[in-house]
Amino acid sequence: MSCEKFEQLIALYVEGDLPETEAHVVARHLDECASCREFAAGIEETQAALKDLRLEHVGGAVFAEVREQVLREIPAIGSARLWPKFAIAAALAAALMAGLLWRVLAPAQPVQLQAAAPLVPAAPPAVEVAARRTPVHHRGGARSARVAHRVKPAPVFKSEPLVVKMLTDDPHVVIYWLVDQNGG
Amino acid sequence: MQELALVMSGECVDAQEPEFARLVKQAKAGDPAAFEAILARHERPVLLTALRLLNGNIEDAKDAAQQVFLRLYRALHQLDENRCFAAWLYRITVNVCRDMLRRRAKSPVVALEQAEYRAADEDTDKVLERSERMRIIQRAIATLTERERAAVVLRDLEGIPTHEVAQILRCSEVNVRSLISNARIKIRKFAGRQMKRRV
Repeated sequence: MSCEKFEQLIALYVEGDLPETEAHVVARHLDECASCREFAAGIEETQAALKDLRLEHVGGAVFAEVREQVLREIPAIGSARLWPKFAIAAALAAALMAGLLWRVLAPAQPVQLQAAAPLVPAAPPAVEVAARRTPVHHRGGARSARVAHRVKPAPVFKSEPLVVKMLTDDPHVVIYWLVDQNGG
Repeated sequence: MQELALVMSGECVDAQEPEFARLVKQAKAGDPAAFEAILARHERPVLLTALRLLNGNIEDAKDAAQQVFLRLYRALHQLDENRCFAAWLYRITVNVCRDMLRRRAKSPVVALEQAEYRAADEDTDKVLERSERMRIIQRAIATLTERERAAVVLRDLEGIPTHEVAQILRCSEVNVRSLISNARIKIRKFAGRQMKRRV
């Protein structure tokens, strides 16, 4: 190995940063090579000067200034972190209030049978059956009219309340919104 | 939140003591005194590391330290108090300083006297000699690449073991040794040239 390559190892050797096996190789080379010994002494000298920087003293006023500045800015961060949560909560509350007001002020609407159609098994169309029979048997007209009056009442639309789960960026804050779908 | 990966995953080299874990828990719960205690405990290594990475510019170092602690405050609720907090903090410090240096393509080196340094009790000649040597070393550090500077500051000035420096800089130990070796040789050569000029 050339002395130039040893320089890289010597720079680590002087501070004990080499594994044992490599350190032995460097130590043997330093015993034999005067120029590398000189290089090692030079590195040791600048390393000592470098470590003198550790002894520098930065005045307590500097630390106090940094601390004061950080603590001054923290409340702004705290409120900046909280305002989206408040904004979401306020928006939800406003939406809820608007929904309630609309329900109170708007005239009650009967539940439309069509709305429940997908959930309710299809009932036989009694009226249509009666209507089809009417022209064939004229004598049974009164009976057909009775059949027509036996139209089944619209099934009550009952479903579970709709649950809206809203996640915020705070894992401890989850907003649940229960929506009664029966108009209650 | 890339830095948080270091805290959330990977092996912890220096698990924190229970006292520190308690402080982090209290700070997370919104106790300002606990956060101030964390700040007081870590402000020195953060500021001094920043000072060295920013070529001795004390104003930049103060700015960097503030940014580091504000980042810490923002990330507090995601922090695992049982993980390597110091390594995480050093990593943020290195990243903040790197960003600052990139923003200011050239950072002027502030003379050590202007940077509010105070030497230990020594006679005047020794103080002057030491100050001059420090200035040369500071300039030598400024000639290093970002990675070399970070490696040598963490290893030689902060005294962090090589494997932890590797964690902080997110590279292999072999890579760190190479960075440190190059940096030490460059510092030696720069200082040698400066000394010759003075003689």
